[in-house]
Amino acid sequence: MLSVISKNRSLYLYIQSTALRCYETVIGIFIILLTYPQCTSALDLGVDDWQVHGFASQGYTLTSDYNFFGNSRGDGSLDFTEIGINLSGHLHPNLLLAAQGLYRNTGGSDREDFRLDFANLDYHLSVGEQATAGIRLGRVKNPFGLYNEARDVVWTRPAVLLPQSVYFDSLALRQAMISSDGGILYGRYGAGDHALTAEFLVAEPQDNTGGAAEFLVGPNARGEMGGRPMFIGRMGYEWQEGRFRLMFSAVDLDRDFKSTTPDMPSGNTKTFYPLASAQLNLEAWSFTGEYGRITTRRQGFAPDIQENTSESFYVQAQYRFKSDWSALLRFENFTFDVNDRDGRSNAERTGQPKHNFYTRDLTVGLRWEFQRNWLMATEYHTVWGTALLSPVDNPDLRQRNGPERWDLLTMMISYRF
Amino acid sequence: MAAWLAVGAALMPWPELAYAADTRVFPYSLTKQDIPFTRDELREIFFGRQTLWRDGTPLRVFVLPDQHPLHIRFSKEVLGVYPYQLRSAWDRMIYSGTGTPPALVESLEQMKTLIKETPGAIGYIEK
Repeated sequence: MLSVISKNRSLYLYIQSTALRCYETVIGIFIILLTYPQCTSALDLGVDDWQVHGFASQGYTLTSDYNFFGNSRGDGSLDFTEIGINLSGHLHPNLLLAAQGLYRNTGGSDREDFRLDFANLDYHLSVGEQATAGIRLGRVKNPFGLYNEARDVVWTRPAVLLPQSVYFDSLALRQAMISSDGGILYGRYGAGDHALTAEFLVAEPQDNTGGAAEFLVGPNARGEMGGRPMFIGRMGYEWQEGRFRLMFSAVDLDRDFKSTTPDMPSGNTKTFYPLASAQLNLEAWSFTGEYGRITTRRQGFAPDIQENTSESFYVQAQYRFKSDWSALLRFENFTFDVNDRDGRSNAERTGQPKHNFYTRDLTVGLRWEFQRNWLMATEYHTVWGTALLSPVDNPDLRQRNGPERWDLLTMMISYRF
Repeated sequence: MAAWLAVGAALMPWPELAYAADTRVFPYSLTKQDIPFTRDELREIFFGRQTLWRDGTPLRVFVLPDQHPLHIRFSKEVLGVYPYQLRSAWDRMIYSGTGTPPALVESLEQMKTLIKETPGAIGYIEK
């Protein structure tokens, strides 16, 4: 971790260069215009707590029968790169500015390359002795579950991958889950060892990038998503700064799709994703579980209204057996249709194999911080089912009758500052 | 039943000074206004949630590296948390744009110097 006390000029140049590289969004520029005159005086006032941090992670994935993050069969795939640089600091003791640029490549499931991950202003204040409240505006990270906000940084993950049944990385829905353009109201009330937290987001989701529209509407759909902004709420209880933690989050997405594809009608898609989370953090052990259900309702794309509810959960144990080593054991389960757990009727209806409608994954992993700011992690997955695989990396997934059970080995090395 | 007892025992709060040491760890700041600090206040400060002193002046926090014995002792004995709880909260702030974690110093000497030179600074020392 390196703390950089930056001068006005370098800060300005940094934000400017970040914004120029992310020309597809105007938020960075908006923030420069909004804050640059203020930050001159704020830095003169002495809140020179500017910090620049970054990370670079490279993964390798080897699979047996299907592709995960690129062409991972045979010799494996190196299409698993996550590089980010961020800046944060206070313009005023209560006013935080933070922005992160991210380069990410995970084969067919993420070809966005460079993007503005977040760029937000955060105003926070104390309410009495025990409570704080704040508002965060700009491109903000979506508050969802235990891991969503910092999920692209391997340092915040138990080993290499997050449980895919809850945090989809190979489905294009991920783009809409990561960050969005709008605002968050949040609050925290603490009393001794107990604290309650709440966040509420209203924002425009990034569902016109990363193939999210195709995922929500149907394959090969071209057009534009619009309509009502996304709502996300998250409430939590924590004891002793997270030694025990309970959380409930929910995403509510209601989007209209204006088709520009011939023969494809416009329509509306609604997604509701509630997620319950619990975590116990002991000195050497951490136990984590999350359970959620995604209900989608698509209207206008077919003569009937299509409605489906899927189910996601995982249970996970981490064991820190030395100060720089930890081990991971996890079981996760994704069921595409709660009314058809073995996939039989969906298989009959679509002609796809049954195992395309569920995924059960048993994972063992190791994580080693072999030097300060350096990390190596590896995971082996035994997987039953193919519901969470990217159709881009596996173009024949819907036709081919491949095996139900397959294996995945992945490793990652990361440096950060 | 035995399992519940084990969980209960594991959840017991940390006793002060869990092991014998000739020295004690103290929060260290030349800003006298909030002294003596309560554990709750120190948690607010070191977890990065409180960014100003009571009089509204900016607060600057300094910590030693995660593996430094004094950092581990300060986390456990003074804040009553495991060092990895701090690291996970700081990482979340850094990588989601929701706060600034404490600035890292390499040694106790550097900590003392920076606290003397930086207005509104707080860290910790061993006595």
